[in-house]
Amino acid sequence: MIDLFLDIVTTAGILYVVAVGLLVVFGVLKIINFAHGGFLTIGGYAALITTELHLSPWVAPPLALVVGIVLGMVVERLIVRPLYSRPLDAILATWGLSIVVVQLITIGFGRGTQFVMSPLQGAVPLLGTSYSLYRLAMLATALIIGAAIAAILQGTRLGLTARAVIMNETLAQSLGINSALVRFVTFSVGAGLATMAGALITPLLSIDPLMGVPWLLNAFMLVMVSGTSLVSLALASLVLGGAQVVVSTYGNPILGALTIVVLAALLLRVRPAGFARA
Amino acid sequence: MAEAALRLDGVTSGYGEAMVLRDVSLTLLPGEILTVLGKNGMGKSTLLKTIMGFLPPREGRVHIHGRDVTRLPPHRRAGGSVSYSPQDQAIFQDLTVGENLRLGLRSDRGAAAAVERVTAFFPFLAQRGRQPAGTLSGGEQKMLIMARALLSNPRLLLIDEISEGLQPSVILRLAEVLRRECAARELTILIIEQNLRFALSVASRYAVLVRGEIVDGGRVAPGVEARIQDHLAV
Amino acid sequence: MRLPSQRFRRELRILIMLVLCGLLIVAVGPLVLDRYSVSILVRSFLYGSIAVTVDILWGFTGILSFGQSAFFGIGAYACGLAFDHFGISPGVALAALAAGLAVAGLVALLVAWLAFGARVSALYVSVVTLVLAIVFVQVIYAGGNFTGSSSGLSDFDTFDLSTAAWFRIAGAGLVVVTALGWIFVRSDMGSLLVSIRENETRCRYFGISVTWVKGGLLLASAIVAALAGFAYAGYNDVVAPDLGNFQFGTQLVIWVALGGRGTLIGPAIVAVLVDFVSAYLSGSLPFIWQLIIGGVFIVVIVAMPQGLGPACVAVIRRLIARPADAAPVAARLIAVPLRPTARGAQTPAIQLTGVTRSYGSLHVLEDITFSGRSGELVSLVGPNGAGKTTLIRCISDGEERTAGRVALQGCEIGRMAPERCVRLGLGRKFQAPTVFDALTVGQSLRVARSRIERLSFWRCADEIRLPEAAMRVVRATGLDTQLATTVRHLSHGAKQALELAMVLAMEPSVLMLDEPTAGLTKSERTVIGGILMELVAQHGLCILLIEHDLAFVREISSRIIVLYQGRIVLDGAVEEVASSELVRTIYTGEPQALGEPV
Repeated sequence: MIDLFLDIVTTAGILYVVAVGLLVVFGVLKIINFAHGGFLTIGGYAALITTELHLSPWVAPPLALVVGIVLGMVVERLIVRPLYSRPLDAILATWGLSIVVVQLITIGFGRGTQFVMSPLQGAVPLLGTSYSLYRLAMLATALIIGAAIAAILQGTRLGLTARAVIMNETLAQSLGINSALVRFVTFSVGAGLATMAGALITPLLSIDPLMGVPWLLNAFMLVMVSGTSLVSLALASLVLGGAQVVVSTYGNPILGALTIVVLAALLLRVRPAGFARA
Repeated sequence: MAEAALRLDGVTSGYGEAMVLRDVSLTLLPGEILTVLGKNGMGKSTLLKTIMGFLPPREGRVHIHGRDVTRLPPHRRAGGSVSYSPQDQAIFQDLTVGENLRLGLRSDRGAAAAVERVTAFFPFLAQRGRQPAGTLSGGEQKMLIMARALLSNPRLLLIDEISEGLQPSVILRLAEVLRRECAARELTILIIEQNLRFALSVASRYAVLVRGEIVDGGRVAPGVEARIQDHLAV
Repeated sequence: MRLPSQRFRRELRILIMLVLCGLLIVAVGPLVLDRYSVSILVRSFLYGSIAVTVDILWGFTGILSFGQSAFFGIGAYACGLAFDHFGISPGVALAALAAGLAVAGLVALLVAWLAFGARVSALYVSVVTLVLAIVFVQVIYAGGNFTGSSSGLSDFDTFDLSTAAWFRIAGAGLVVVTALGWIFVRSDMGSLLVSIRENETRCRYFGISVTWVKGGLLLASAIVAALAGFAYAGYNDVVAPDLGNFQFGTQLVIWVALGGRGTLIGPAIVAVLVDFVSAYLSGSLPFIWQLIIGGVFIVVIVAMPQGLGPACVAVIRRLIARPADAAPVAARLIAVPLRPTARGAQTPAIQLTGVTRSYGSLHVLEDITFSGRSGELVSLVGPNGAGKTTLIRCISDGEERTAGRVALQGCEIGRMAPERCVRLGLGRKFQAPTVFDALTVGQSLRVARSRIERLSFWRCADEIRLPEAAMRVVRATGLDTQLATTVRHLSHGAKQALELAMVLAMEPSVLMLDEPTAGLTKSERTVIGGILMELVAQHGLCILLIEHDLAFVREISSRIIVLYQGRIVLDGAVEEVASSELVRTIYTGEPQALGEPV
């Protein structure tokens, strides 16, 4: 029972970390970045490079974050900016980008499955059971990322500006806010969060050029049911991720893999606002 | 002659195929208050949107303080010297009163003093800083919009239908604030109105817009009210 | 002006020529191409057919599906599973085909029910089809030995047909699907698809069951995809989960975008070419090729959203300057008398009882009770934000009001959707001109009348029958000379007039007009005012009019209702309301604003 509980909360943490970059981009830019999976994969391979160079595994997430932010800047400028007024085309173009990413990685690193070093090994005793230290660290990371984003949004002028653009872009512009700059920064940060998430999840799994796709799909569905709210995303990760753990544990893993997408799709049918306030 | 605070030369603009403004020219000197009057659908809001750059003009040029801004994006025109209050959704409903005010300034430096100055006009704002702006009453929201617009010490103020749906006492208060600010600091104001009395009580000049064209204009003087009503009744 | 049937005959001749050429190429292909090319092209042709269905769904109707692959997979697995488990016989083959098509059809209906139902966002169909593709793959995984799990099924006995025969079947299939699709999208029904893409709400208010149209379309395209899948498995002797995954579904969308959405031929050609070249290059430069496709796709989406096909055509047009196809094509307008409607003179045409609309604690409308009889023109006036447009929404869509009852022609609307309210005789003109930009004026009028006269699936009617009132609006505003003009190019005022004419074309008995004359010239307004009065006086319509021009209101109304802050403050005869002091003060604060002489 304790194990199940810990599985649920840590799974929710992992899902939150993976989806938050997509949510940030969707919230401000109102477009869905289907290259999110590609960015996750890039983060995974950034972790692989740190392993191969025998650097400390602690270097991987910050390295991935920087790589992602830089790539995000380029992508926003060249691909996303011309498509703000065509959100469906933006989905397709970013999907095209993720095809390019997968092929480049395949050319560079081969198709095979590879593994990276984990910065935290082993298990710790907790609540009368022994549990993976890294998974617990992921939960902590999710809380830290969530708190950091909330602090930036609520506590800084940049955050206030971003919230103003989310709520009413025209009004923000008429108050002298450069919304194009806000979009640029947001997309770069979203890409950075994605690559960092990729580096963070790889110690738990293997990496291969297509690793981003299932994560993209889960993240996409979570964002669809969360709207633009960080709190809704946390709730969605907990409820849908929890359902996934329960189904995988008591049902079978194949059904578990479907849980999030199917439940999210049904939820959107009965309640289009999902977990967000209607 | 002093440099015009705002000058429009032969501006034509509209949405898609529909031309809402046709060949509009007007000049505002510093310290003037011009009211543009007209009924719904005559192009009043379009005029402000074109001045602010939300609608690029098809023809003609827009100058603000002597600078040609025709090709500048809205955010480069707003902020600093120009303040604009749109007609619809002019506040961030889910942000607090304080946050709405902060957004009226370019940076948080010196914010406290500036906020203190404008809340002197509308004292209730000082106590409601943490309240979500959407929970204010309609009249209070209008006062918040006005306070935010004056916060950055603008030299040009563009106001779209501030009096709509307001009770007379609030309208009087707004008119008083505008007149005082204008006299104190050479503030130039372009005010779009349907409410003739409010408009004429504030403005020094008027222009009447009918189907996208300025059909009449001049100094506000006794007797112009009837003359303007003739235009509005068409 | 050329009639649609004349154009159709001319084009049909070209089409038949093209089809014959296509079939000839397909017949001769195996004789001149090398074996390897022939064997690859079978698959490419099948993919081409599905790309055509994706284009009809997305390019024409605006349904972006990521899961068309799943239907292909269902068809393929129907074949693979049957032959693998039961061996091959004509009976098994037929039963498997029937089962595959049935399952694909049922799944398509399920998707349609989920995605085209009530109030879901336009993106939701993309979400559901994405989930469908994911579910398909997982179901195959879950099937264990029965479905071959992740490695699929192979080496089952299959049809004893040569590669050349398959080439001809698949090629002929592609030619036929493309040709039929081409005829379909150019028919009156094809105009309807475009009108749904352009403005679904407007379609609903013409009484069109958009849900059914989209569902039927999804069903038909699922059947075609499943057929292609069945052929694929029968030919290749292999089925794998990848056939139905979301990557393949997205690949189809990419081909359509590259080829040019809404062109049919473009997606078909691109699908065949890209798949063919991919297979050729998969040995030598597999990843580079995919990389190039991805890169080209991004460039096309960003820089030429119309796709490569139209871009090439534009270049060719410029090189070979040929005389433009001069004669514009449009149907003739025929004036018809209004159909007689059975209306009880006793029941009011509109009856509202205690209608309220609230957003949380904010009441936009409160306790609105009034009725309008046949033969009455009721004007609704009040300042901005008084709730006038909200009131019209509450009368024409059962989901809108928070409380109270609405009856049209004596029938309670309950929670009816707009298309069902329309069947009670309602017609609604929106405030901003709400028209179909991509259609011509003639096509728009035809679509507007689709509830009264069925649309053809294969041709365009030569005649558009319009009731006299619609006809007069069209003539007075000069639209009758612009029937072949694309609506996008009309002026603002002409669009207003067109929407009014479209609404009148559906012969409503209760008409709701939200500022119908905004943007029209003085003389056009006079004509329309006259038409409205005549509809009321001679044809017994009940009209509810929102209008700001009070002089116009005074001229044509039989009654005026004044709305202020969500409540009815006055309801009475024209002179009584117009001379009321209350109205003068609340309406604009200006005594003269009601058009009284000073």
